[in-house]
Amino acid sequence: MAAIEIDGVTKRYGDVVAVRDLSLDIAEGEVFGFLGPNGAGKSTTINMLLDFVRPTEGEIRVLGRDVHDESVAVREHLGVLPEGFSVYDRLTGRQHLEFAIESKDADADPDALLERVGLSGDGDRKAGGYSKGMAQRLVLAMSLVDDPDLLVLDEPSTGLDPNGAKQMREIVREEADRGATVFFSSHILGQVEAVCDRVGILREGELVAEDSIEGLRDAVGSDSTLKVRVDSVPEGVLADLRGIEGVAEVGREDHTLRVTCDSGVKASVITTLESAGAEVEDFEMEESSLEDLFMAYTADKQEVEA
Amino acid sequence: MTWQAVARKDFQDAVRSKWLWALSALFVLVFSLPAILQFYLEMGSAPPQGEQGSSDAFIFLMKQGTSVLVPLIAIVLAYASITQERESGSLKLLLSLPHSREDVVFGKVVGRAGVLTLPIVLGFVVAAVLILATSLSFKLANFVLFAVLTVVLGLVFVGLSVGISAAASTGRRAMMSATGAFFMFVILWNAFANQLVNLLDKYVGLADATQLHAVLFLKLLNPTQAYKTLIDSFLLESAVQSRIMMFGFMRQQVAAQTLGESLPVYLSNGFVVSYLLLWLLVSVGVGYWVFENADL
Repeated sequence: MAAIEIDGVTKRYGDVVAVRDLSLDIAEGEVFGFLGPNGAGKSTTINMLLDFVRPTEGEIRVLGRDVHDESVAVREHLGVLPEGFSVYDRLTGRQHLEFAIESKDADADPDALLERVGLSGDGDRKAGGYSKGMAQRLVLAMSLVDDPDLLVLDEPSTGLDPNGAKQMREIVREEADRGATVFFSSHILGQVEAVCDRVGILREGELVAEDSIEGLRDAVGSDSTLKVRVDSVPEGVLADLRGIEGVAEVGREDHTLRVTCDSGVKASVITTLESAGAEVEDFEMEESSLEDLFMAYTADKQEVEA
Repeated sequence: MTWQAVARKDFQDAVRSKWLWALSALFVLVFSLPAILQFYLEMGSAPPQGEQGSSDAFIFLMKQGTSVLVPLIAIVLAYASITQERESGSLKLLLSLPHSREDVVFGKVVGRAGVLTLPIVLGFVVAAVLILATSLSFKLANFVLFAVLTVVLGLVFVGLSVGISAAASTGRRAMMSATGAFFMFVILWNAFANQLVNLLDKYVGLADATQLHAVLFLKLLNPTQAYKTLIDSFLLESAVQSRIMMFGFMRQQVAAQTLGESLPVYLSNGFVVSYLLLWLLVSVGVGYWVFENADL
């Protein structure tokens, strides 16, 4: 059974199409990163998973149940960190957790949850006095109540410092190890790269890519950069390098050459250099980061138009 | 069904608000003032012989105030109960947990009704203690009935406001609708009832008795009027008398002659109570229906 089945979903607000014909299956136990720039339709999609808004067309099933007809049953097995939430200012952190525990008819220890998200000692303070990051941690703790089968985290690292973001990643990993499915959206790619089995990239309401990180790299052509340090740069060698099939770009900085190429042709790059009389002192490969991939998927259109 | 959890959280949240305490103080003050006044006037003088007053006099006086104050405060307490959560985003927390929208609406009605009932009951208890300290004879049954009806009136207006709040997409709209509802029920309704029947009479032609019955029926549909006439009916120990009192002084004699000894069933106390409760059902029901079908 798939944890999430989104089937041909379109959401229109008047003339504006927020999500267009989206189909996506997330397997049980998978950690899925839902990527896209702000305004791409990530939150609209998540809001449809939660039945906050209803699709104009298409169907969504979560944990085998229709998200609208059996919304409450779905949410009994869900942990959610929504986007754009606010806490109850007059209730303490502990009262928030107690409310979540009571709502889920669960048997959980608020103190253990507070400690897990790094809020031990703050449980008896009113949540109205929490910083954005603390509120984010509190709601993460609420989402963890009763070991949900599926965690839906919308931009979970919003407001968190690097240490908090790291803790968040650790919790995502722990939950995945426990067997939970994790679906989280982000526009911060470092988050996704580190913890996801698979990612989907949304742009202007449409899914433009859906693959593992490695798969995405291959799909983009996954140019790598070869950094080579040589004792000297023989004349004409740069032109020779540019002539190799698979080499996209050659740059020079003193005795260091930067060759952007397919990973398959690095041997010929080295051979060409050596046969031209240069001695290769050192070389290293820089693989393209997901950031570059992401830019390739989401930014190229605008650049072409510009 | 998880509305209990929603209601408890809502109440917990509201109890921490300074509002609730200000309200309690207001109710205690309003309810105890007449009793304090009575007590003060009696100081040093012997209780008047023969015509001894009772707590019924207090009720007679108080109902005018409560019929305005209770709806007003119920509306203020509840009109933003859902729109506020919707606009701030805490509704997302609530609906991320396994609560249906039905639970949210119902939980809010119960939670806010609790918030309103607490100060009302407190006000009544203080008033009762003060009345006992005066020479007024304390008629417990009537006093308790008055308190119960006041709580019911509060509940009806809480339901109305939560319904408005559930149906409104913004706090501003909820506020405007709730304000409109208040003026309609408290100020405009009677004039509207008379006008409507006059119009009907003009175009259709109604017998005098029919006109009178129609006006009375329309007036009884107003929850604040229903509340007052129900109170009068047990103070006067006559439902007919209490309905006659709903007319101006000039028309009371005609009304008495027309109504005679007994009331048609749709003007009886039982039906008046049902009209009162119908407002609760309809406004909560309509509010829920709109909320259920809304994109949040």
